[in-house]
Amino acid sequence: MKYYKIGIDVGGTNTDAVLVTHDNTILSKTKQTTTADVSTGIKNALEEVLRLHPVDLPEIKYVMLGTTHCTNALVERKELNKVGALRLALPASKAIPTMTDFPEDLKNLLGKHFYMVHGGFEYDGRVLHQLIEKEIKDHLQKMKGEIDSLAITGVFSKINNEQELQVAEWAKEVLGKDIKISCSHQVGGLGILERENAAIINAALKNVADRMVKAFQETVMTVGIKAQLFIGQNDGTLMSLGQVKDFPVLTISSGPTNSIRGAGALSKVENGIVIDVGGTTSDGGMLVNFFPRESTQAAQIGGVLTNFRMPDVIAVGIGGGTIVRFENAECTLGPDSVGYRLLEKGIAFGGDTLTLSDIMLSNGEVVIPNALAPEALQQKIGLHTKLDYDLVVEKVKEQIQLKIEDLVDKLKTESKPVPVIACGGGAFLLPKSINGASEVLFPENREVANAFGASIAQISEETEIVINTTQKDEKEEMDSLIANAKEKLLKNGADAKTIEIIIKESTPLAYLPGAVKLKVKLAGAFEIM
Amino acid sequence: MKKITLDDLEYIAMGSTVLGTGGGGDPYIGKLMTREAIRQKGEVLLLDADDLDDDAFVVSIAAFGAPMILLEKLFSGDEFLKAFDMMETYHRKKIDAIIPAEAGGLNGVIPIGVAANKGVPLVNGDGMGRAFPRLEMVTFTLHGISSSPMSQADEKGNTAIYNTIDNVWGETLLGSATIQMGGSSAIGAFPMSGKQVKLAAVKGIMTFAYEIGKSIIDAKKNKENPLEKLLETTKGTKLFQGKISNIKIASDGRWNKGICEISGLNEYKDSNLVLDFQNEFLMAKRDGKPVAITPDLIVLLDAENAHPITAETMQYGTRVVVIGMPCDEQWRTPEGIILGGPAKFGYEESYVPLEQLV
Repeated sequence: MKYYKIGIDVGGTNTDAVLVTHDNTILSKTKQTTTADVSTGIKNALEEVLRLHPVDLPEIKYVMLGTTHCTNALVERKELNKVGALRLALPASKAIPTMTDFPEDLKNLLGKHFYMVHGGFEYDGRVLHQLIEKEIKDHLQKMKGEIDSLAITGVFSKINNEQELQVAEWAKEVLGKDIKISCSHQVGGLGILERENAAIINAALKNVADRMVKAFQETVMTVGIKAQLFIGQNDGTLMSLGQVKDFPVLTISSGPTNSIRGAGALSKVENGIVIDVGGTTSDGGMLVNFFPRESTQAAQIGGVLTNFRMPDVIAVGIGGGTIVRFENAECTLGPDSVGYRLLEKGIAFGGDTLTLSDIMLSNGEVVIPNALAPEALQQKIGLHTKLDYDLVVEKVKEQIQLKIEDLVDKLKTESKPVPVIACGGGAFLLPKSINGASEVLFPENREVANAFGASIAQISEETEIVINTTQKDEKEEMDSLIANAKEKLLKNGADAKTIEIIIKESTPLAYLPGAVKLKVKLAGAFEIM
Repeated sequence: MKKITLDDLEYIAMGSTVLGTGGGGDPYIGKLMTREAIRQKGEVLLLDADDLDDDAFVVSIAAFGAPMILLEKLFSGDEFLKAFDMMETYHRKKIDAIIPAEAGGLNGVIPIGVAANKGVPLVNGDGMGRAFPRLEMVTFTLHGISSSPMSQADEKGNTAIYNTIDNVWGETLLGSATIQMGGSSAIGAFPMSGKQVKLAAVKGIMTFAYEIGKSIIDAKKNKENPLEKLLETTKGTKLFQGKISNIKIASDGRWNKGICEISGLNEYKDSNLVLDFQNEFLMAKRDGKPVAITPDLIVLLDAENAHPITAETMQYGTRVVVIGMPCDEQWRTPEGIILGGPAKFGYEESYVPLEQLV
């Protein structure tokens, strides 16, 4: 059945949108300025893609949004909730209390109701300690009226979530059924500190998420679209608005993921390197079977250690606004940038700062409205650097080449050349040939790769457990893990034919005979209704 | 450094990771525990082995278990105090100082916290000068010092005292009880006199860990090359530079075994290096020929900042530098090579000191 989708990406500078068909052909695209209220930028972008290619509004089935809203709220410490936290872990774990390694300012902002209580499981599923109802309810009583949301974290809750769920029930009894609860087994992997941190941050972002979801819904409605709405998460898959309200923390860092997947799909390349060139940096990531390679290093968000599934992205200071300097005829690029003020600071726009965009404009490799004509600009660049213009261009290009080749080399896991895909508004900065790259692709619509990436995102399910192989059969456990994940995906609206296993790993644990960590991740496209 | 402060702890934790040679458990958890202990109880007196009274009563306090479990089921802290108290009760003596058994990894940091809590000094020495996976693999064993009578405690309050016939049995029995305790426990072991410590310890190892950490962390601040500083501090040798191109991990019952392949860059272009690990890195072969063999220390570092990389956090594509560091002289004796050398881990190659290989 024919239908349309709209993908939107809200970045710090631009809000991009694409209108695409059900089989992912781009019909129209736009770049609008991100507004302080976010909604206006989204509204402008939606209206523009529909103006460029009018379609029957009821035929728009899905609108997908990628946004840095939650990341910014956390980094800027804005609009965060008062949080209560319960760790179900005694008699274990009291040597390192809840939030021990949190930045002090964030900890103070979140409140004072952080408690450790009896509970938890052992790695093999035995009970570490039974819950004590009175102990937990006493703590909940103290939180009454002083918290907006609650984070519950139990030892080995990834193996058995019963205790976390029981405490959530009690919390609703004591604090009212509307209390927002974030259970750690739903937001993170093994490693209790990182998972607890994730649950707490998740709890802190609940109001931010509610407002973001509401604004998104209202904006789409104002434009007259009645589609199903989704927001992208950091592993390149989508969440329903209901899920976003429950797990806002998972939207953090969805931007790079969208551009990596979008660029892969635009160029029809499954495996390669994607370089997204923005105003300040070029962000490189590996595309592996249409998904970004994930980092194995723990990710710090807003100064807090978490174990999120983050794409492995390396940034270098090459962007459209990167400042170019010459000293003794030697060229240095950035790392600082004029950023979004390019149109006032850049020499091509009457400013006094030489940027990479000026260089590319001056030799006609890119055309931006209202910029000086190439000849005039060449002269200005000569005057600015007090050097021969051709030499300037040569030196700048040499520097770009060096930095980009270094980036490509860092990202590569083998010496074999791989395709490099250029995307983002500053893609014109990238060399046409790169040492270590089999080819450099500049796909059509590359400047809106991230919005396109949002529009083609799939839904996924990921889970991990630790089993004791002396008691349980590893293959059976793995099969049942996959079956459960598949069932969840189908329930969330995936098309059975498109479901694929993205990750299937078993890792033995040091020092423990028979203990093995199993991890699976499945993804699938939306059912075409 | 006569007292271990909160600031010193950061350096020591970094140094312990280097001495962990890829294993030993990530000191992060130990650092957080110890930070709390120092905050509450104050700084820890660091005592050189030679300053101990000959008849001083010294024991090792250590974490025992699977590093992965320790990250999920954190320590209570009490299990270490109990293991300490039990040693005093059983031996009917006050403990005069704690000596780390293993300065590499988690166990290089945890004893500092216990010393803070108990208000006793920490000996500036250990039984390895690195990390090894088994209880008996300490220089104490080389001097006939028994790990028994030793104590064990878990977070639930279960405790045991062991009298084993040798240190291998100590490892076996502690290991099986630890599994039943839920994968982690605290132990008190190697009851020693000050005189024995002076004979058997790898001396000065805590200040060494501190200096290693300082080389790496302060290099950035001082605009120095962290790798050069590190090699200078450790008298180490750069063995290789390149990029991780392959990682294979397999389980062999108790140990994570595997290899990490690195393809060369810069002066090592067209070469490759294979790191063999069983929790710790034990053998480095460049183009098929050994360049460093256990018990010498093999350390994998991030090429960008010289931060150590553990076997658990290795990642494809990371640019790395591999360095070798000479082990303590005690490991280079015939007995030392039997206890911590390549044959102990099932390798056919014979031990040749690092300096002669490169």
